Amino acid sequence: MRKLKSFVGYTWALTALPLVLATFIGLNTWAKSLADITGVKISPWHSGGEVARVIRHDGFKTAINEPVFRGLIGERKRGFVQVKWTPDEGRRLPAMVDDSIDLDADGTTDFRVRLDTKTNEAQLDPYNPAVVGLIQVFDLGNERAIRVRLLNPHRGDTRQ
Amino acid sequence: MSREISARPRRRLGKAILVSLPFLLLSTMMLMGASAGSQGNTLFLVPFLVTFAFINVLFFMMMYTGKTDRYRAVFFITMAVGFVITFIANLLEVRGSMALSAANMVRGETPFCHMVIPMTLIPAALTRTIIFPGRILGGFADVATMFTLWIGASLALGRGFCSWGCFFGGLEDGFSRIRRKPVLRRIAEKWTYLPYAVLIVVVALAALSLSPTYCEWLCPFKTVTEFAAVTSFKVAVQTAMFVSLFIGLVVVLPVMTKKRTQCGLFCPMGAFQSLTNKVNAFEVRIDREKCNDCMRCVGVCPTYSIDKASVSKGVTRISCTKCGKCVDECPSGAVSYHVKGTPVTGRTGGARMLFLYPGFIFLAVFGSGMIQGALYRLLLLLTTGSMIK
Repeated sequence: MRKLKSFVGYTWALTALPLVLATFIGLNTWAKSLADITGVKISPWHSGGEVARVIRHDGFKTAINEPVFRGLIGERKRGFVQVKWTPDEGRRLPAMVDDSIDLDADGTTDFRVRLDTKTNEAQLDPYNPAVVGLIQVFDLGNERAIRVRLLNPHRGDTRQ
Repeated sequence: MSREISARPRRRLGKAILVSLPFLLLSTMMLMGASAGSQGNTLFLVPFLVTFAFINVLFFMMMYTGKTDRYRAVFFITMAVGFVITFIANLLEVRGSMALSAANMVRGETPFCHMVIPMTLIPAALTRTIIFPGRILGGFADVATMFTLWIGASLALGRGFCSWGCFFGGLEDGFSRIRRKPVLRRIAEKWTYLPYAVLIVVVALAALSLSPTYCEWLCPFKTVTEFAAVTSFKVAVQTAMFVSLFIGLVVVLPVMTKKRTQCGLFCPMGAFQSLTNKVNAFEVRIDREKCNDCMRCVGVCPTYSIDKASVSKGVTRISCTKCGKCVDECPSGAVSYHVKGTPVTGRTGGARMLFLYPGFIFLAVFGSGMIQGALYRLLLLLTTGSMIK
């Protein structure tokens, strides 16, 4: 039994070096496999969530993301939606972006935003009681993004 | 008699050369592969050659002298300093500042580090998302790459990662070696359980808030890497907290105690990493037949991983980082690296060799880029007057 335990111990110990070498040699492959197998993504609370719709305008486009309410288990009462404006190739965003956002594509504007791309100041007019207010404006170089605080329509009262 | 004495060092030299040769070949293969893109540029070639020689001289000295921690620490500390220089210079070059803006976070430009790993596991299991403003794949220090490195290191080295891989640990290790004798000798044993409490709290808070709470509020190493730009009172409080923790746990206390106090008394990643010692073949053991109970190992252990109770049982605590300091310092040769399942008594050189090869290869490959990067920045400073391009 002692000999068997020693044999297992030394075999286990001997695998450490090949394991370290394999870790570094195949690092990119292992990392990709790990990402593929687990299927994990960056949390929408950090990434802003998946793009739900893109609306084209003259010279720029608006990307409206899926609203983020996801909690550890179930959904939270409060969340946000991220909206991003990207200029067309070789162009710049207009000095003032004035956009009416329809979050759920039901034909009704949920909020209107006026964003000064020079000062990065934005004014938000909510038309939907679930829209609470502006969280932040992000200067992303040529692009601008905002996050707007939302109440979860599926959880509780959305009246303010 | 005199012939016998003169023959012994020669035999030891020959043996050291022989056991160092495979390392020379492995390090050549691994480091050449890692720097394949930068060949032909003198500013890259000189740091590469210096680092390569540095690594191999240190490994040879480990083999020749039989001392482990003395030479491991030289590389470990150099790696930490190199990491800080390289990281800050890169940030200044790419971003123009050490401060991380909200836009950087939205773009997923925050490098992922191993300290975040424990906090990400529960949310990853329940929501299949990583609660960190970085990237899963692609870019510098992405999530999947850091996870892969951590899994490899944990399986091969267990908590040895904290002394043979963590690029932050070397900072404390360096500060803990400044004084010859500690000013503060005794720290109540209960404090050694604090990292586990910190781990439980930050993991729970991260799961509830879906944000990496330790990174936001406590990580002392943000002081020498990157931190959120101070744009609100909350961020100002966070900044004051992590800077204070850096000064206290990484600089002042290590100097006063000669211990790695952040690793031993605070680090939640270290506490989490301790669990990986259970799935690892290597440990440090004390041969009770040789031990004379001088308790020198208790005094020198930098992470409070040996106490009187563990000495009497001939084991180290689960938090052992396998740095080898106790092995080097034991006057009776009772403390040694050990392979689980094998006898504690008898020759221990084989177990040490089996651990040192993967341990130092991991340290060398992981750290060489950081040291090369720092040397490159210093050369750039000497030749152009600036560390950034």
